[in-house]
Amino acid sequence: MFGLLESGFQQFGWGNALMLLIAGGLIYLGIAKKMEPLLLIPIGFGILLVNLPLGGVMDYRLEVRSLEAGNVVEVQMQEGERFQEGNILCQLDSGAVVTPIYGRVEDIKVSPGQRIEAGDVVASVLTTAQTDQSELPTEPLGLLSRIFAFGIMWQVIPPLIFLCLGALTDFGPMLANPKTLFLGAGAQFGVYFAFFAALLSGFTIPEACSIGIIGGAEGPTTVYVTSILAPHIIGATAVACYSYMALVPIIQPPIIRLLTSKKERAIYMKPQLREVAQLEKILFPIISAIVIILIVPMAAPLIGCFMVGNLFRESGVVERLSNTAQTTLIDILTIFLTLSIGASMPAENFLLPKTLLVLILGVVAFATATAAGVILAKIMNLFSKEKINPMIGAAGVSAVPMAARVVQVMGQKENPRNFLLMHAMGPNVAGAIGAAIAGGVFLGMVG
Amino acid sequence: MIDWGLTAKIAGGGFGMVFLILAILALIVWIVGLGVRRISKNSSRSKEKSQE
Repeated sequence: MFGLLESGFQQFGWGNALMLLIAGGLIYLGIAKKMEPLLLIPIGFGILLVNLPLGGVMDYRLEVRSLEAGNVVEVQMQEGERFQEGNILCQLDSGAVVTPIYGRVEDIKVSPGQRIEAGDVVASVLTTAQTDQSELPTEPLGLLSRIFAFGIMWQVIPPLIFLCLGALTDFGPMLANPKTLFLGAGAQFGVYFAFFAALLSGFTIPEACSIGIIGGAEGPTTVYVTSILAPHIIGATAVACYSYMALVPIIQPPIIRLLTSKKERAIYMKPQLREVAQLEKILFPIISAIVIILIVPMAAPLIGCFMVGNLFRESGVVERLSNTAQTTLIDILTIFLTLSIGASMPAENFLLPKTLLVLILGVVAFATATAAGVILAKIMNLFSKEKINPMIGAAGVSAVPMAARVVQVMGQKENPRNFLLMHAMGPNVAGAIGAAIAGGVFLGMVG
Repeated sequence: MIDWGLTAKIAGGGFGMVFLILAILALIVWIVGLGVRRISKNSSRSKEKSQE
């Protein structure tokens, strides 16, 4: 007979309640404040779904095996019981079988008095944790765990989203002023500063790489790198990256004002960029894919997809493919990615001191990237006859086009004649390339 | 215990690599842009000559 004991109420804890509040907060920011609603609403709802117990949307099955041979003395858990990492599942005469991860018991496969050998399955458990598949292989059972496993952990969705971003990106402003590529490079300093800070905070090198790449302000790159190097913190890094991208209008202006004088912010840049020929726009994705992938082969999935998407856009002969990538495909992939990323944040995995550190280091990454871009622009002005407005360096943080819009708004406040948007788009899109390269370098050196 | 040698290699080498690649791209973009503008200038000049 169905009762409250079979419902989620029995297993609903304070951690789940807190995560529901966080989910509500993200949904509120998306709907009421219109901050990146395409990302925050599904992420928020994914968090909500996974924190309603027994829903099963993010369940993985794990078979717990005995490391030693022995006779079963006592089985200390029963089916449906919740446990934490390191709890004793059953007692053998030669030792104990402990749970390697948190979760709940699905099925006990042994009974007292039974003889088992090393490697025998003792129980199957259900967990929402992301595990290292080479050490703890799991089988996805839920709707979102399957999307997560086959879309994200198989590194399929992030590169395809990058293909769609390539189809949406106009490299014209960057091609008209190639110096802006340096500003995109300079902003990647935030990635490596956050990498250092993460190491000093006690994270391992793979974790520090996953945290550092948040500074690239590229959601797909962050998810891609973290899924390979540190899948157990993918929820924290992804929510940090996407949330801070939405908060760029709040994070960047104080830093820009701190590092620039009123006179510098008012530097006028001629609104007319040189006209870029269609041939240049067609050659750029082909040449840059060849150059980047030859030097950093691990960047091939991201950069290759980015550039083929851009070629769809610029070739002018595959409008159907370009339109599909810019609209339907990116919408479908965004739904899959963001819902499953949100669902990778159950209370047991998210409400840890480590997660708070990741969120703090994410802000550090964004802030340092902004500062580095502005400072590099000021350095470039020392050697350049035609001055650039140093604020466009902040747009090297590749939250496209939000960072460029922030620069436009701040520029107009200082000098109403100044239209900096197209100038800022140069470093903005260069930063996207830089972030993908930084991700590829991390994977090549650490993966 | 942090392996400072590896850390420096990842951070310094990584940042240097990003900078180097984008610098190479900036150079290529500039050269290609120059070449395309020159070609289009030459072809418009020869069009004008043939019209005369």
